[in-house]
Amino acid sequence: MAKARTPVLKVQNLKKAYGDHVIVNNFNLEVWPGEAVALTGRNGAGKSTILRCLVGADKPDDGTILVNGETLRESNPVIRATVATVIDDLDFFPDLSVVEHLDLLARAHGLPDSDDAVDSILHEVQLVPQSGQLPGTLSSGQRRRLALATAFVRPRQLLILDEPEQRLDVEGVEWLAERLAAERKDGLAIVMASHEPTLVKAVATKTVRVGGDK
Amino acid sequence: MSKKKISRPKATGSGPVATASQATGPAPVATASQAMGSGTVATERALRTISTGPDTVAPVLETPATPASPTSPASPTEFVVPEWHHSLIDLDDVDPVYESDLKGLLKSWRRGRATKRISQVLADGYVTIFSVLVIVAMIGGAVFRAQTASAACETQTCRVGRTLLPWVMLFAAFALTLVVSRIFGPVVASAAEGFWLFDAPIRRARLLRGRLVAVLLAVAFGAALLGAVLAALTGYPPREIAEWAAALGLGAGGLTAFAAFEQTFARTWLIKVLQWLLGAAAFAALVLITGVAAGWFSLDLDTTLTTEIVIGVAAGGVVLLVLFGVLAVLRLGEIHRARLVSGGTLISGMQGAAFAMDLGLMRDILVERDAMAKGQVRPTLGIGRGLGALVGREVQRLWRYPKRLVLFVVSLGVPYAVGALGLTTFNPFISALVLLIAFVPLLNSLRVITRTRGLARLFPFTNARLRLACVAVAAGLAAVWAILATPAFYGLGSGSHPMSLSRALVYSLVTAGAGVLAGVRWTSAKPADYSTPMMQTGFGALPPGLMFNLFKGLDVAVVVTGPLMLGWSPWVSVVIGLVVLYLVSGTFDMSEAQQMQAELKKEREAMKAGGNKPGGPKTVIAPPRRR
Repeated sequence: MAKARTPVLKVQNLKKAYGDHVIVNNFNLEVWPGEAVALTGRNGAGKSTILRCLVGADKPDDGTILVNGETLRESNPVIRATVATVIDDLDFFPDLSVVEHLDLLARAHGLPDSDDAVDSILHEVQLVPQSGQLPGTLSSGQRRRLALATAFVRPRQLLILDEPEQRLDVEGVEWLAERLAAERKDGLAIVMASHEPTLVKAVATKTVRVGGDK
Repeated sequence: MSKKKISRPKATGSGPVATASQATGPAPVATASQAMGSGTVATERALRTISTGPDTVAPVLETPATPASPTSPASPTEFVVPEWHHSLIDLDDVDPVYESDLKGLLKSWRRGRATKRISQVLADGYVTIFSVLVIVAMIGGAVFRAQTASAACETQTCRVGRTLLPWVMLFAAFALTLVVSRIFGPVVASAAEGFWLFDAPIRRARLLRGRLVAVLLAVAFGAALLGAVLAALTGYPPREIAEWAAALGLGAGGLTAFAAFEQTFARTWLIKVLQWLLGAAAFAALVLITGVAAGWFSLDLDTTLTTEIVIGVAAGGVVLLVLFGVLAVLRLGEIHRARLVSGGTLISGMQGAAFAMDLGLMRDILVERDAMAKGQVRPTLGIGRGLGALVGREVQRLWRYPKRLVLFVVSLGVPYAVGALGLTTFNPFISALVLLIAFVPLLNSLRVITRTRGLARLFPFTNARLRLACVAVAAGLAAVWAILATPAFYGLGSGSHPMSLSRALVYSLVTAGAGVLAGVRWTSAKPADYSTPMMQTGFGALPPGLMFNLFKGLDVAVVVTGPLMLGWSPWVSVVIGLVVLYLVSGTFDMSEAQQMQAELKKEREAMKAGGNKPGGPKTVIAPPRRR
């Protein structure tokens, strides 16, 4: 794989505060293809806030975020096509089944062999028996698997995940670790927040402790 | 309550239970079961298990030889459980529960913990009351003006419309009553009641009786009010207004009693059949009005019969109310707890949304519940790629859920019915309002895309293009509606044409456009933001935009159809419609614009700082050279 000239993600002097309470200050990060950065730290340290800024869900008070050298704007279609995200604000269409969600995403991203991609990921996340179910009837763990599937069923250069291990069973965490490690080796850039040491160890090439020790 | 270490079971006959429970789980469980009065039975069962089981070995409790002093911390191997000062309850000594006492106790607790009087609550809620009063005053004024106009119209179309339109409303109101009754209960209980009360050995019917009566009265009163407004709208004199009010009130009350009776059997199919029959009757009456207004056929209705039929409906309502009311009361104890609590939970969820005046959220709750009830669908393969995939899914949704088209089909008859009443001036506005309601079920995906940004972020399109894809099918249907409704604006069948055919087409297009734009606005408008600083108003502190929540959608219908009602050129409405389209399509994103402006400002400041920097690079402009 040829070495890229620009990082997939570049964060400079990121600052985010809620009122007077500064959550993140002077945060810098560069993520290149094939790199996986794990944000760790205690609850409330600011991991999710950073990730929300990185996907454009929150506006930073200061600093710049560049995706492939382009300033991050949430509704920029190029950035949307580049960055796959699984953070806490994901919603589902209440009237579309599990497999229809994945099919719609794959088609919207113009995948030529969308049916194969959907079948493959559906098997991977073990949601084949639930493929016809509407999202409202899924358990929280199954919803999490569907959320992860939405990130894997489409093309992506950068994957941003907020505690992806949440609500997954042991087997699910193992699968996720293997999948993310394989994706990273294939050149995907990953930024994730996690409290799961095994996941961080298996996937991350760089660990950033946010907030320091209490 | 003090704590002590258990060294050996107390001599109360519950020894083996304590021993077993301590060996297998936390001790307080056993203690709690004794406190609930089942200790004796449990003891006997435990004794049998321990003494007669073939391979059972009685668990041995390791106890300390000497109790630790209260001041010294207990060692990790010791069991420390609370000491409960109680004795086992002898069931023979327990008095039966009287539901009236229980209700009195609940009332006393509620009143004892109340921090406000009802007058204070009403005073605090004056924002809502004020909003309701404003809306009622607006509607009242419109009804009064419409009644005056309608009563003056004496053509055959007007007479047929005046005779049949109240029937449309009556059947529609009855169908709606059954739908609402089926969704909520109609008898409901809160989750807390379900958990705390319904496990107790009480007669459930006695607790629910008053609630059923209250529901029946509320429905009857509400429907009567609606009937009175509708009869006034169609130009009836006061006596007939009272008759229609009685028919609607008593009929709706009777149907609610019937729904309550069905609830006791946990049956819904009969209610569903009835609601569809009533809906079909409403549609048939609307088609008759439309047919006469469009000149497809003529009807000679005997208006003297109407009064007798209306009174008959009211009498039928009384029979239903009494018969099924009594039967439902007799069987109230049979209603499953889950069914009671489900309606109560739904109400509490919707109450929360109502306090925020967020009608969209209220609808979301219902849609989610509907999806939960459906649970599973037969998946279909999508069509198209890119944005086409989204539009394709919209078409497939309609195929899967044709029910969503019912209101749209009904809305086609509205301009004809309104025209038949002689309310030509108000036709664009009334039709646009009905279209607003009809289009909301067709814009479900737009709602999901706009309420949270997470889903929109998954698609490689701008927000504006995503929204347009979600609205494409509704917009196509609006175009169909405009073509089919043009004869109503042209005045077909009425003998006189208030405008040319081409102008009528523009009127119809504007009306359909206003309807779909109002639907988009209603669906995608942002709710009030409680995280921003509150506004200080005469009504207290309010989040910005709270008051506008009630009028979202309605505002677009007024703004776009207003020029038509004022007799201005329809092109004014077209221009306003285009501006509204630009605003609601998401092309103009205020936060994004602010972000871009901030970025530009930052860049300018950086350039400025660079230029002013001492010793910084200077731009040298070469002097012009003479040739």
